Amino acid sequence: MSKKFSLTPYLFLTPALLVIAVFVLYPIAAVVYYSFTDYSISTPPIWVGTRNFQQLAQDPIFWQALSHSFIYLLVTPTLIVLCIILAIVVNRKLPGINAFRAMYYIPVISGSIAVGIAWRLMLDTNGLLNSLLISLGILKEPTQWLAEPAYTLPIAMLLTTWLGLGYYMMIFLAGLQNIPEELYDAALIDGCNHFQKHWHVSLPGLRPQITFVAIISSLAAIEVFNEIFILTGGLGGVLNSGVTIVFYLWRQAFRLQHAGYASAVAIVLLVITLVFSIVNIRRLERGEETE
Amino acid sequence: MRKSALLTVLMIIAVVVSACAPATTPTAPPPVQQTVVVTQPVPVTQIVEKQVVVTPTPGPNPEAVIQGVESNAEIHFWTFYLSPTFDPYIKDTIARFNQAYPDVKVDWEDHQATFQDDLRNAFAAGNAPDVINLSISEGWVSDYASQGKLLALDDVVPADVKSVYFPNLWDQQGVGGKHYQFPWYQGIHVNLVNTKILTDAGFMAADFPAKWEDIPAFCQTIKTKTGTLCDIRLTVNDILSQMVYEGGVKIVSDDGTKFTFDSPDAVAWLKHYVDMVKAGTVDKTVLVTDQDRTGLDLFTSGKAAFYDTGPNLIREVRANNPGLYGYLAVVPSPVGKSGVVGKGLMAISVKADTKFPKASIALAQFFTNAKSMLEFAKIVAIYPSTPASYDDPFFSAPPVAIEDSAKPYAKDAISKLADIVPSLPKGVKQVDVNNIVLQAIQQALFNGADPQKTLSDAVAAANKLIQQ
Repeated sequence: MSKKFSLTPYLFLTPALLVIAVFVLYPIAAVVYYSFTDYSISTPPIWVGTRNFQQLAQDPIFWQALSHSFIYLLVTPTLIVLCIILAIVVNRKLPGINAFRAMYYIPVISGSIAVGIAWRLMLDTNGLLNSLLISLGILKEPTQWLAEPAYTLPIAMLLTTWLGLGYYMMIFLAGLQNIPEELYDAALIDGCNHFQKHWHVSLPGLRPQITFVAIISSLAAIEVFNEIFILTGGLGGVLNSGVTIVFYLWRQAFRLQHAGYASAVAIVLLVITLVFSIVNIRRLERGEETE
Repeated sequence: MRKSALLTVLMIIAVVVSACAPATTPTAPPPVQQTVVVTQPVPVTQIVEKQVVVTPTPGPNPEAVIQGVESNAEIHFWTFYLSPTFDPYIKDTIARFNQAYPDVKVDWEDHQATFQDDLRNAFAAGNAPDVINLSISEGWVSDYASQGKLLALDDVVPADVKSVYFPNLWDQQGVGGKHYQFPWYQGIHVNLVNTKILTDAGFMAADFPAKWEDIPAFCQTIKTKTGTLCDIRLTVNDILSQMVYEGGVKIVSDDGTKFTFDSPDAVAWLKHYVDMVKAGTVDKTVLVTDQDRTGLDLFTSGKAAFYDTGPNLIREVRANNPGLYGYLAVVPSPVGKSGVVGKGLMAISVKADTKFPKASIALAQFFTNAKSMLEFAKIVAIYPSTPASYDDPFFSAPPVAIEDSAKPYAKDAISKLADIVPSLPKGVKQVDVNNIVLQAIQQALFNGADPQKTLSDAVAAANKLIQQ
């Protein structure tokens, strides 16, 4: 009963495999190789062994960037909580509710660059926020929000949260609409109030969506770049206050022309995102098994 | 028949009689004294315009100064931030170039914000352009030349061609005693001034500080009287250069083997900015941005009293905030302790391994010759690097627009530009040492670090680059 080998399926797979090989496998292999070299893009790479990784271990700005990236992960639970609340709010059959849903989605389609520029203008020394706070008597003189190290990262995180709100809300909304209405009726009969109804019915029902959002938003948070670049004018914030690991990678590769060193940073980032993905997927699989 | 003949005769008589009668009521005319005007022929010069077809005199084109240009050459030319505003000028100049050098085909591309990334990638991929517009002020020429990417011009450009440029501009950013650039358009270092804010602060444009050391006090008055912060930018991509011009700092030892930018002059330079940050008189976001446009945008929005830039960028102010244009004044930039206002602006270089060195040199030279520069200066407030361009009446005509206000002293100002920044110790990349200095001065500016200590630490770190 041995099966006869057929070439046909491999022929069909070849175009996709070629594309993956050229645009995924080769770049990964190249980055791994460059991470062991002294390479400045415009000059040929020189093999230096593990020197880049040794330097990385002693580089205070790298560790600062890494810690900023982990702090940035706070965006994920914030987004999940806010988006679920928002999805519950807009999951009603009210006149004009579609307009509200669309309005929450506008930041998603605006793009991070355009929104970043708008926020930068709003947070400018002479911008809207300072004018508002001064007119309300909260501030006596304008604050340079984006030049204060303490504010750079929280502002960028706030921007990311605001940008993602509409997108993740839609995912939770779709999840909520799949929960059978009878479960809510049963909860009400059992004496649940509104909060308990959502706590005991909506949240368990949204578990797959929560896991999915947790995976993609945490990966997006750890790879954040656009918001930092736009808000800090390409500097990364004074005293590196907004430098995340991807921003640091970009600065090393394209500002300082240390492509080899940047490749080492990329390898560390790859390992982190891989661990994140594996942990999250395992959680997702476990969740499906228990259902 | 008789009747009709009679009728015809009568009609003829009637017509004749009526024709002889006066048209109006006949009255006897009164006697009138008449004046007789005698018209005499006066000789008049008559201008007759005719189209005259001039057949060009056979002979060499006077602009074709590079001999032995390769035939059928195809060269690639990159410019920085010139399209689409100057498309007609660039295309016309290339068309003129083709009249002088008919066998050369030029492919022109303009690159903007990603210019440096594009160029580095092009060099890495082996398809860099033959002729490249590089910034002198950002130190690109010496950067690429020190990497061996650019063609040394000393042996391939005739002496009479070299001599058409201001000597100080021709000599800029040499590496190892060799020259790698044709000086292109220059900018005069000026400050654009918002006279409305200055007036509110109790100043006239003429009160603008002539010396760099006087800026902090000026900013303090502006802040106190108007609440406006000063729009000053550190050249974060080339901090050492700014130390040299403003603070008169000696950044490298005489023998060129170690860094010395922790001297009392360097500390004084850093304290100048630290004190302004402490006093809250300067916009901190602009101070350390690497985007010149960030500072220009703040000025253009009408929220800053002055901004150090070139007159060529007045066009941005006029386009984006016409209301401010009426309040603009232009003043010379303050001079630092070095006594030199600054270095040149733009250059054109040729890549080292071009297949068509003569054609590439010809194009670089053509764009920077006196005629091409003059034509460019007529459409935007840039200044030629060739003294001969200033002989044109365009430069001696009194300025009309604010953009032209530097014209009367332009030749003198351009002739004094000079790159006084010494070469870095061998093997040290400018970006690496600049990054060390930038991190250090941020600690002093924003984290309260002691300027002397932070600069000494930076010198120690920079000297390690030499040992590597």
